[in-house]
This record gives sequence, structure tokens and C-alpha cells, in this order.
Amino acid sequence: MHSILAVDDSASMRQMVAFTLRNAGYEVTGAVNGQDAYEKAHARGFDLVLTDQNMPRMDGLNLTKQLREHLNFKATPIRILTTESGDQMRQAGRAAGATGWLVKPFDPAWLIEVIRKVIC
Amino acid sequence: MPLLAAIGVQDALLAANNDLNRMQTLLADASVTLMRPFQGVTERIQALRGPSITGAERDSMICTVTHDLTHAVTALQFQDGASQPISHTQRRLRNCADQLARDSFADAEDGEAVVEAAPDRSSPVTPAEMDTGLIELF
Repeated sequence: MHSILAVDDSASMRQMVAFTLRNAGYEVTGAVNGQDAYEKAHARGFDLVLTDQNMPRMDGLNLTKQLREHLNFKATPIRILTTESGDQMRQAGRAAGATGWLVKPFDPAWLIEVIRKVIC
Repeated sequence: MPLLAAIGVQDALLAANNDLNRMQTLLADASVTLMRPFQGVTERIQALRGPSITGAERDSMICTVTHDLTHAVTALQFQDGASQPISHTQRRLRNCADQLARDSFADAEDGEAVVEAAPDRSSPVTPAEMDTGLIELF
């Protein structure tokens, strides 16, 4: 079973993401901010990281940059799921090493589809 | 600013802050309340897959429940969308109230009021409704 690290400081968003992805057959681990995610990602590997952008302690862009600095996460797909939709932020996400920018609210069907493009 | 006016404005700002706090609690509660039916729907889907209901009726019911569930997952994200601007507004109002306190009561015996920092930009939440957002894959 493929594993996904779902990062969001909103408990309801973590629940929605986990509900959607578990029903699609993925194993989901939640993290409450970038720092929590960074620690969990290093404790064990994940097939994909799905992270919010605006979070306390460490945001999604910094999490992406920090994960990309490690060999184990050079090729791990990192999708940013955020309320931010501006061009500048999307370009910053790309520059940080994210592999996709998804704007909330998400539709469960398309969330599964964009994840299945890289892990299935 | 005259003292009474400052007190009035400060009270108003703090009341707004309290209202926003209350709204955040209500939204969180609504989210929890809405979450409960998910488990029930999941169980119904399992029951529908059993031998007691068969044929096109069963397929149609499964399709309907799944469709409803999909929309509910999107709708339930309102809590996240609403809580961010609320939090932003709270910080802005708090900053406003703190500044008023500092400017109006600068010579208070207990020292200058501490001013909590305001957000450095407008609220990051851009969607105005619960329609699904864009996708860009790099």
C-alpha cells in the first residue's frame, strides 16, 4: 500500500484528506505543520507528500525546500494543497521543488486523480 | 483622541474580536457535526453491497451516496476556508486595540501597552465560495 504524508494545521482538512485518500486505498499519516511533517518524513519514508502552505512553525514552501535538500526526498512527489492561488506563490512553489499546486477546496475525485498520476 | 472615544473604540474592537472567536468555535462545532454522517454513509455503502439489495436499484443508490459524499467532502472544507480569515481579522483587530491602548494610555502607571503585531499582508484565503479550485502540475 502506498503511503502519503498529509500536512495541514486544520484538523478538519486533515480529516477530509485522510478520508478521501484512505477510501482510495492509500495509507495516510497526518502532520500538523511543516516541522511535524519534516520529523515524520525522516522517521519513515513516504511515497508522496501533500502539504498545506500557510502553517505555523514551518510553512509548505519551507518544508518542500528542506525535504529536497535530502537525498531520500529528491524524487518524492510533493503536492501543495492551499487556499493560495496567486501566480507568484505558485512559481515560488515550483522553485522550492513542489511537483504540483492544488487550490482548496479540493474535489475528492480530482485529488485522487492527481495523486494517481504519480503513485498508483 | 479623547479618552472616552478611545475607550469606546477599544471596546468595539474587542467585542468584534470576541464575536470572531465565537464564530470560530461555531464553525469548528459545525465541522464536527457534519463529520458524523460520513461514518453512517460509509456503513450504508457496505450494507448496499450485501445480498439483501440487488440489481439496478442497488447500483443507483451506491452512485447517489457516493456522489453526495463527494460533494460533502468539498463542502466540509468551509471550516478551513473560514477559519483563516477569521484568525487574520483577530490579529488585525488585536493590533488595533493594542495601538489605541498604547496611544491613549501612554502614561499609565503599569507601563506602555504591548502591541501585538498585525498580519503583514491581507488574508491568504482567496476562494469566496466552496467551488473546487485549480490544479497545476509541474
